[in-house]
Amino acid sequence: MSLDDLTLVVRAQEGDVRAFEALARRHEAALYRTAVRVTGDGAEAEDALQEALLDAWRHLDGFRGDAAFSTWMYRLVTNRCVAALRRRRPVPAADAGADVAAADSPERTALFDLELAALGRAVQDLPDDLRVCWVLRELAGLGYGDIATITGVKETAVRGRIHRARVRLAGVMRAWQQ
Amino acid sequence: MAAVGDGAIELLVCGRDAALVWDRAEAGRPPDEHERSCPYCTAAYAEAARLDVAVHRMAVEPVDPPPSVLASVMGAVRAAPRLADTLLLDSPLGPNRLARPAAAAVLRAAVDAMDGMRARSCRIEQPGPGTTADVTLTVAARFGLDLAGATARVRQTVFAASEQVLGVPLRRVDIEVVDLWET
Repeated sequence: MSLDDLTLVVRAQEGDVRAFEALARRHEAALYRTAVRVTGDGAEAEDALQEALLDAWRHLDGFRGDAAFSTWMYRLVTNRCVAALRRRRPVPAADAGADVAAADSPERTALFDLELAALGRAVQDLPDDLRVCWVLRELAGLGYGDIATITGVKETAVRGRIHRARVRLAGVMRAWQQ
Repeated sequence: MAAVGDGAIELLVCGRDAALVWDRAEAGRPPDEHERSCPYCTAAYAEAARLDVAVHRMAVEPVDPPPSVLASVMGAVRAAPRLADTLLLDSPLGPNRLARPAAAAVLRAAVDAMDGMRARSCRIEQPGPGTTADVTLTVAARFGLDLAGATARVRQTVFAASEQVLGVPLRRVDIEVVDLWET
């Protein structure tokens, strides 16, 4: 029997560890994908996911169900990613993104790999605030309203950031698609 | 017009909101009449659709967390339970302690096993050590279920499970149906 998120959250709030585990298992892949794309680094993404899940357990009483549980979790993991980015010493963003985008895929054609790697680098080259909004929209598939809740900025600002990110990425990718 | 400030969206030369054109292209919705005949909209639409091909490939790339992340989170969670409180059970050998979350999980499982019922909150209050307890339960029921009959069965089930499985006789069981679900 698969229980809905709200039922699992209420149980977890009352100390049911298994209910919390079911929630974590259900959402971890999507949260991790977001963390990988925001940080551009697998190890940092793992840390961010782990810290966000522990944040969730510790602060579960603060979840009131105003937004979906997944939205709340996206906020926790995004906050952890942004904190990691701020801690990070300045490194060439292109190097940080390359290994994620081009991860082991020997079967694919070289051109596909190169194009995807180029997109990965271009995403890492975006300013942090643009990248966070763009990843939540284009890779996690969230709506503008949810992204505004997650990032704590107005919806009009979210739309502006996503659009600016798209225009930048399109400019970089134009070379690959002619 | 160039974008100004955090919230401003660039307008195309024809006056259309560039982000709206882009959203439409990405959602796969066909261009409207203006967009079909306007060179600026056509260009923006084509650029959005082109980028979307690569973005879609990135979005579906399998990127999964290693199992070690969840394992280590659950290890920490189990080592530091949020609610460490216990119920006290009388026994011939002296008082026994039973973790309240574990007791609640047993009662919820008994309700979950019933047709069309899912337990949500389950609070067990014991007025004093070793006494009978009171249970306050919220449930979600399958849409169309006879709620009066179903809650009566839930009450019986919870009374029985608490006494027979946990060894905690109950004084009262309050049940509130807080949600309906459809199969």
